[in-house]
Amino acid sequence: MTTKVFLARFRLLFIVLAVGAVLALIYPRFLTVSNLTNVLWSVCVIAIMCTGAIYTPITGGIDLSVGSVAAIASIVVNHLMNVMGVPMVPSLLITLVIGTAIGLLNGVVVAKFRVHGFIVTMAAKTYLFGLAMLISNGAMIGIYEPKAFLFIGTGRWLGIPVPVYIMLVITVLSHLLLKNTVFGRQVIAVGANDVTAKLSGVDPDRTRMAAYTISAFTATLAGIVLASLTQQAYAVAAQGYELNVITALVVGGTSLLGGSGSVFGALLGAILVGFIDNGLNLMNVPSAYHPIVTGLVILGALILNTGGQMPKWLRLPVLRRARTQS
Amino acid sequence: MATTNTQASPILLECHNVTKSYSGVVVLKDVDFSLKRAEIHALVGENGAGKSTLIKVITGVTPRDSGTIVFDGHDLPIEHTKSAALDLGIGVIYQELSLINGLTVAQNIFLTREPLLPGLGLINYKKMNADAQALIDKYHFPLKATSPIETLSIAQRQLVEILKALSGNAKLIIMDEPTSTLTSSETTLLFDIIRQLKASGVTVVYISHRMEEVYALSDRVTVLRDGKLVTVLEKEQISPAEIIRLMIGRKLTADETKRVMVRKGGEPVLEVKDLTSVGRFYGISFALAKGEILGLAGLVGSGRTEVVRAIFGIDPYDKGDVYLNGKPYQPSVSRGIASGFGMVPEDRRQQGILATIPMTRNIGITNLDTISKFSWVSERKEMALCHLGIDLLKIKPKNPDINVGNLSGGNQQKVVVGKWLVRNLKVLIIDEPTAGIDIGAKDELYETIQRLAREGISVICVSSDLPELVRLTDRIIVLREGRMVKEFAEGHVTEVDVLKASSGILEGGNQ
Repeated sequence: MTTKVFLARFRLLFIVLAVGAVLALIYPRFLTVSNLTNVLWSVCVIAIMCTGAIYTPITGGIDLSVGSVAAIASIVVNHLMNVMGVPMVPSLLITLVIGTAIGLLNGVVVAKFRVHGFIVTMAAKTYLFGLAMLISNGAMIGIYEPKAFLFIGTGRWLGIPVPVYIMLVITVLSHLLLKNTVFGRQVIAVGANDVTAKLSGVDPDRTRMAAYTISAFTATLAGIVLASLTQQAYAVAAQGYELNVITALVVGGTSLLGGSGSVFGALLGAILVGFIDNGLNLMNVPSAYHPIVTGLVILGALILNTGGQMPKWLRLPVLRRARTQS
Repeated sequence: MATTNTQASPILLECHNVTKSYSGVVVLKDVDFSLKRAEIHALVGENGAGKSTLIKVITGVTPRDSGTIVFDGHDLPIEHTKSAALDLGIGVIYQELSLINGLTVAQNIFLTREPLLPGLGLINYKKMNADAQALIDKYHFPLKATSPIETLSIAQRQLVEILKALSGNAKLIIMDEPTSTLTSSETTLLFDIIRQLKASGVTVVYISHRMEEVYALSDRVTVLRDGKLVTVLEKEQISPAEIIRLMIGRKLTADETKRVMVRKGGEPVLEVKDLTSVGRFYGISFALAKGEILGLAGLVGSGRTEVVRAIFGIDPYDKGDVYLNGKPYQPSVSRGIASGFGMVPEDRRQQGILATIPMTRNIGITNLDTISKFSWVSERKEMALCHLGIDLLKIKPKNPDINVGNLSGGNQQKVVVGKWLVRNLKVLIIDEPTAGIDIGAKDELYETIQRLAREGISVICVSSDLPELVRLTDRIIVLREGRMVKEFAEGHVTEVDVLKASSGILEGGNQ
């Protein structure tokens, strides 16, 4: 591996480390264990969503419903446990089944009715939000019981927050699914060229349905973590998270045109966005500026990752894309 | 140079010594080509004779290397765009129509030249629709100016393309195989329109492989062969048989184009009985022996690609039976792959390769069953298969990690063939095996296909390239308008025989 290829492959990691280093230099408080733990805590919900949401853009689609799915998951799990009195473990399982079924529905509409995922999941985002408002009466419901449930989001093990373990485990699982399984191969083939994939024996419809299903599964999981973490079930809790997810994915090198994506990249993307957010907080920048900076980061990442041309003065080796062509 | 005022001249276009080569391969050599005003001029030649290149050079889409082209008294620049050509008075209608869905007939006709309302620069739709309708009425076309394009048939869309050219005051309209996708009644209508264009002073260049059309329509015929002008036939010299003789000419003496077909015996691997897909093909029946290379010939639109797509299970069919090793078989892509079918589709870029991902994965995608266990893909086995493919087909560069879109056309095709060859294959269907690849890669692919057949794999080869079919296959079935019209199974076969059968000149047959 030449230095150039090495730099290109781990480009994002270097960028994340560089941003971290700059923040540490300006604000020594950045590098404290408690601050870094806070950053991880804040990114884990987005990062968990990313591990599944990554499959829809790889097939050439998109899932805008992850925020609403997470919201409905938080409300359903609370409703099951604290209104209907279902024990915790069955409640979690039922919630996961319901959330995943929503994804399957999205996938069926995308694959069988040939509607673009953008439209299908935007519609799902809207009606799920309405449903969440309906079940919760639009109220912010506090969750105080059971204690075991609250441990999922707020507990620590060996000093590290439990959601961070969930995030790491599901990231590794998703990475293996994408990189080392038949399904992973098929998802990438469908995104690269669905006609070729079909003529090679891949079923593009089934692959797309699976992608949306997985996306909703991880969104449901993220919703459960979010509910436990914030000790709330609230319809507007995860509103707009889909944009953070897309930001993390794109920053992490997933092409919205389909055919490529990296799960670890998405995790780094989520952490980078978390770093920037955290840095802005440390700098006491008013919160109105945060979306401005996040928006600019998305633009920059898009230019870097989807074939945009960098001006010459910006072409640092670390920013260069990997070129497979020799 | 040409400063003469040719307004009165009977010559509309004069090409002189036009030469063009692509990366060292000469595709047009010192070609002279001239068109009179208000004539219907057919341009004929085999695939690769240089017809399309000549058209592209005339319209300026492809720059010529040398030679002069004078159109209507003006020297034509070496390079310009299709719309610039239209401004000069040259309209081209390609097989792939370039109309925009979602816009109306009138909007398409006046695209980029819309009449504007004074002042704001808004489009004057009333005038645009009226102008378009006036144009339609002038030629009595069965169209309405306000119809959306997507509601029209292919034949009607061609008429819109013609109107688009006429609205730019085209003096020359070039049509590239306009009838390949038309029904016979639509073809008759198109012929009337072409004659009408001629009557109104427009010159029409007509490219076709269908000799009876050329015969029925043309005032003069220019024959190209191997990038050179063979001859120009005047009206009274035109006959289908003569044109075919001139198109192929010298090749009759070459060994490779005259073969003795020998029927391969043994149990059939694949049997197709009375396969019919309404509107595409009818009553297709044949048996494919082990180790046999069967050629499917026919013009574009004859149904040959549709037949193999149905057998591979891509498109459904209406009637008929398929047998694999004597047992009834219901085609489907995944079942086909599992039972030893492989298919190299005609459009490599759109259907054959995964351009943005590495060679390993391109080869792996058809072999997921053999390189995975419990859904877990072994990257070691995937890499081994890729190296096997590279060695079998001599793919260059030997870099398994290269994205296939970065390979040359020939090597891309080798990857598409390779992803099947590394399997335990029984029947390989290959559609236009060598389209768009260079001579060296062609020969290598022929050798590979013949080696496969010797090893017992049966091959169905669809091709427009007649020398290829005659050289490569053991047997040729000719399709015309969706039906089998001729089979060359035994005895001598030449390109001329196949071409005659394809274009409908059977003359009783002399086999």
